[in-house]
Amino acid sequence: MRPIRPRDGLVLLALVAYASPFFWQALTSMRPDAELLPLTRLLPSHLTWVHYDVVFRQSLMPRALVNSLGIALLSTLLAVGLGALAAYALARLPVRGRGVILLAMIAATAFPQIATVSPLYLLMRALGLRDTWLALILANGSFALPLVIWLLTGFIREIPRALEEAAAVDGADRLATLRWVVLPLAAPGMASAALLAFLFSWNEFLFAYSFTASEASRTVPVALALFPGVFEVPWGDIAAASLLASLPPILIVVGFQRYLVRGLLAGALRE
Amino acid sequence: MSDRRLAWLLLSPALLVLGTLTVYPALWVLWLALQYRIPVFGISRWAGLEHFAFLAVDTRFWNAAWVTGVFTVASVALEGALGLAIAVALRGQRGGRRTALALLLLAWALPSVVTAKMFEWLYHPAGGLVNFLLGGRAINWLGDPAFALPSLILADVWRATPFVALLCYARLLTIPPDLYEAAEVDGAAGLQAFTRITWPLVRPILLVTLLFRTLDAIRAFDIMFVLTGGGPAGSTESLTVYAYRALFQTLQIGFGSAIGVVVFALVMLVAVLYLRVIGRQEAAA
Amino acid sequence: MAPRPARAAAAGVSLPLLLWLVWALLAGGCGERPVAGAPITLVFKHAKILGPADPVPGLLRRFEADHPGVRVQSEALTWSSDEQHQFYVINLEGGSPPFDVMMLDVIWVPEFARAGWILDLTPSVAPAERDAHFPSAIEPAMQDGRLWALPWFMNVGLLYYRADLLAKYGFRPPETYDELIEQVRRIRAGERDPTLDGYLWQGKQYEGGMVNVLEALWANGARLLDDAGRPFPEAERAREALAFLRGLIESGVSPPWVTAGDEELTRRPFGDGRAIFLRGWPYALDLFELPDSRVRGKVGVAPIPRLRHGPVGAASTGGAHLAVSARTRHAALAVELARFLTSETAQRAMTEGAALRPSRPALYRDAGLIARDPSLPALHGLMLRGHPRPITPYYLMLSTTLQPEFSAVLVGRKSPERAMQDAGAQVQHLLRSVTP
Repeated sequence: MRPIRPRDGLVLLALVAYASPFFWQALTSMRPDAELLPLTRLLPSHLTWVHYDVVFRQSLMPRALVNSLGIALLSTLLAVGLGALAAYALARLPVRGRGVILLAMIAATAFPQIATVSPLYLLMRALGLRDTWLALILANGSFALPLVIWLLTGFIREIPRALEEAAAVDGADRLATLRWVVLPLAAPGMASAALLAFLFSWNEFLFAYSFTASEASRTVPVALALFPGVFEVPWGDIAAASLLASLPPILIVVGFQRYLVRGLLAGALRE
Repeated sequence: MSDRRLAWLLLSPALLVLGTLTVYPALWVLWLALQYRIPVFGISRWAGLEHFAFLAVDTRFWNAAWVTGVFTVASVALEGALGLAIAVALRGQRGGRRTALALLLLAWALPSVVTAKMFEWLYHPAGGLVNFLLGGRAINWLGDPAFALPSLILADVWRATPFVALLCYARLLTIPPDLYEAAEVDGAAGLQAFTRITWPLVRPILLVTLLFRTLDAIRAFDIMFVLTGGGPAGSTESLTVYAYRALFQTLQIGFGSAIGVVVFALVMLVAVLYLRVIGRQEAAA
Repeated sequence: MAPRPARAAAAGVSLPLLLWLVWALLAGGCGERPVAGAPITLVFKHAKILGPADPVPGLLRRFEADHPGVRVQSEALTWSSDEQHQFYVINLEGGSPPFDVMMLDVIWVPEFARAGWILDLTPSVAPAERDAHFPSAIEPAMQDGRLWALPWFMNVGLLYYRADLLAKYGFRPPETYDELIEQVRRIRAGERDPTLDGYLWQGKQYEGGMVNVLEALWANGARLLDDAGRPFPEAERAREALAFLRGLIESGVSPPWVTAGDEELTRRPFGDGRAIFLRGWPYALDLFELPDSRVRGKVGVAPIPRLRHGPVGAASTGGAHLAVSARTRHAALAVELARFLTSETAQRAMTEGAALRPSRPALYRDAGLIARDPSLPALHGLMLRGHPRPITPYYLMLSTTLQPEFSAVLVGRKSPERAMQDAGAQVQHLLRSVTP
C-alpha cells in the first residue's frame, strides 16, 4: 500500500473542508425544527421536508428565483451581446486609441461597487426605475461588460486570421465574416464569458439590495438575506432556501466546468 | 462601409452603456462627495471638502480603515498560502481530481450571501457545528468582538481560496514533468524541486491572482454585511459597510459618497502599486 | 466550430426563453390598471398583527359596510422595522406609492412629515379628538404645530419582575437601580441556581438598544440632545448612565449576551423562568399569562427604576401611528379610514383581539377591558410617566449614527467618555448637513 504522504493529507483535509459545509447545510434543511436549537445530535432523528414546503409556499423565494433568473439571463444577454461586437472591433478593426480603451476596460473592472452605487441609485430614481428588473439588468450588465469585452477581445485574437482572410477572398464583407466565421469560432469563449456574467448577476447583492424594495424585483440573494422569521431566525428554512439559491451555480459548475475554468484562466492569464 | 466606420458602429453601443452606467457614475460620485445631499429632505448644497475633513478625524472611519486593512492582508495571505498548497497537492494527485476541482469551483461560484448564511449557521453559539465539535462550548463566534473578525476572515478565505488554487493549478499543469525528473536525477527533490522549479514558474500567476484578491478584499461587502453587519460594536465594520450605512441607513448620499471615493482611491492606488511590482518582476525575469 | 446539433438545440431553447422573458418583463413591470366603474379601493399597508385573533379584517369590513362603494385592501409589511422603513422610503420618494393609509412607527412621523410624504391631518381632526389620546402619543406626531398621524396603538417600556421570587425574600419592586442590583444579589445567593440570570434588557445594536440606552440616560436625569441639538448637555450624568449599563454586564447582574439581545431573545428566558427582572414592552405580558407559560401568575409589572439623578418610570413610549399618503387619490376617504381605525371602538376591538394597548386613556378605565386585562390601570400610570424619544425628522439618522457608539460601550470596546466624544462629533457632522 502506498504510504500516505503529507500532500495526500492536505488534499483530504481540503476535500473535507470544502464538502462539509454543503453537507451540513443540506442536512440542516431536512432537520426537524425541534432538533435545530440547541444542537444535541449530529444526525437528525428523521428527515423532514417541512422547510422546503415553507420556502415554496410561504416565502418570497419562488418569486425571487424568477426575478433572479430573468435578470441574470437578460443582463448576460446585454453584456455578451454588446461585448462581442465591441470585442470584434477592438480585436480586428482599426480603432484609434485602442490601447487606451482596453486599458480603460481593465481599470473599469476594478471599480468598487460601493462607489458607483450612490450615483446609480440617484440615476435609477430619476428614471423611475427603482424596484424594477430593468434597473438591475442595466446595473449588472454594465458591471460585467468590461470583463466580457476584455475576455472576448483575447478569444477573438486567438482565431487564426487566415480563416477570415479566406472568407474575404470568397467575397464576404466584414459583417458577414463576423456573423459566419468569427462568432461561431468564438462561441466557446462567448460561452465562458456568458457563464461568468450570469454567475456575477445571479450572485450580485449590493445593487440588488439598494435598488429593490419589494418582491416585484427582489433577487435571490436579497430574499435570502432578508428571510423573515416570526420570533426567531428559521435556520432550517434558510438552509432550504440557500440550497435553492445555489442551484444555478451548482448546475453551471457540474455541467459547464470546462467553460467556467477557461473563462477564469483567460481573465487572469491575459494580464 | 469602411472598416473604421464599422469599428465605431460596433463599439458605440458598449461604449454608450459603459459611459452612462460606469464612467458617468464614477465622475458623479466625486461630485456628490463634495455635496451635502440628503434626497429625503431635499437637502442639496455645496460642502466642499467638509466630508473629507470630518473623515480625517472620525474614529469610526479609522476603525473601518483598520478593519479593511486587517481583513485584506490576512485574507490574501491565507488565500495565497493555502491556494498554492492545495494546487501543489492536487497536482501530485492521481485520482479524484475532478471531484476536488468541482467542489472548489462550487465554493467559489456560490452567492456570497449563501456562503454567509452557511457560516452564520456553522458559527451559531447553540446550533452551530463548530461549537458542537468543540465539545459543546457556547463560544459566540460572531457576537464577541474578539472573535468576530477572525471568523469573518475564515469564511471569506474558504470562499476565495479556490480562485487562487485553480489558477495556480492550471499553471502547474503546464510545467512539463521532465523538469522534475531531471531535477530528481540531479539529486534535488521535494522542497528543492519546489523552490527551484515550481516557485519561479508559478510566482507570476500567483501575484496576479493575489492582485485580484486584494482588490476584491478591499471592496468586499456581501459577506461582511450579511454575516455580521459590521459586527459587534463595529469590530467588523469595513470601509464599504460604513459607506453603505451612511448611504442607505442615514440617507446621507453626500457623506456616503465621500467614503466611497476613499475606497475608490484606495483600490486604484493598490492596483497601480501591484501592477508596478508585477511589471518589474516581468522585466527582471 | 460549435457542432450543429448543439446550435440547433441552443436556438430551440433560446427563442421561447426570450419570448417568456419579454413577457415576464412586461408583466412584472406594469402595475395594476384601474378599471373604470369599479368600486373605490383604498390600500392599507400595515404590519401583521400578532395575537390570538387579528381584529383588523373585521374592522375593515365594518368600514366598508359604512361606506358602500368602497373597498379596503389590506397589505402586509415585512417584519423588521428597518425593512419597513426602507420599503416606505423607496416607494414614497418621488413616486406614486400604491397605498393610501399606512402604519408608521412613531419615530418616523416627523421624518415623513418633513419629507412631504404624508397629509396634514390638522384640519380633519378636532382638538377634542386629539386630546382623547395620551399626550405622549400625540406629541411625536406633531411637526411645526401640525398633526400628521393618528395614534393607533401604544407601547411603553416597563420592568417585569418575578413577583414570587421577590415575595419569597420580602422585597417590593425596586424603585432605584441600586435596589434592583441588591435584590438580584440576594435572590441569586438564596436560590443558588446558576442558570438564573439577574436583569435582562436589550443591548443589541439596533433601535431597541437605543431605547434602552435612552431610558438609562433619562433615569439619571440626562438628555441625549438639548433644544439646540447639542449632544449630552448633562455630560457627567450621561457618562454615569452609560458606565452603569456597562457595569451591569461586568458585575454579572446581566449576562454578557444581552449585548446581542433583542425583545424576543430576552423575553424567552424570562418566560422560561430563568431571569428575575426583564425590561420589556407590554405585549410580553400576554405571552407570560398564556396557559402553558412557566411564569403564569408569577409576573409583576413596575415602572423603570431610577438612577441617582432621575425620576422613576422614565420609560420610552413607542407604538404605531396611521398616516395618509400625500399622493393618495382619495384623500377624504383615506382620512376617514385612519380616523375610524384609531377611534375608540376600533381601539377597543384591537385591545380585545390582540396583544396591543390603546393610545386612549379612557379605555384604560373601561370596566369591560379591565376585566379581561387587570394590568390596564397600572399601565395607564406608566403611559402617563413615559415620554417619547427625541422628536425630530432626523431621529432615525441620529439613532443609526449613535447606535455603534453606544454598542461599543456596552461590549467594553470604548469607555463612556470616548464614546460620548465620538458620538458628539458624529452628531455635529450630521446636524451640519441638515441645517443650512
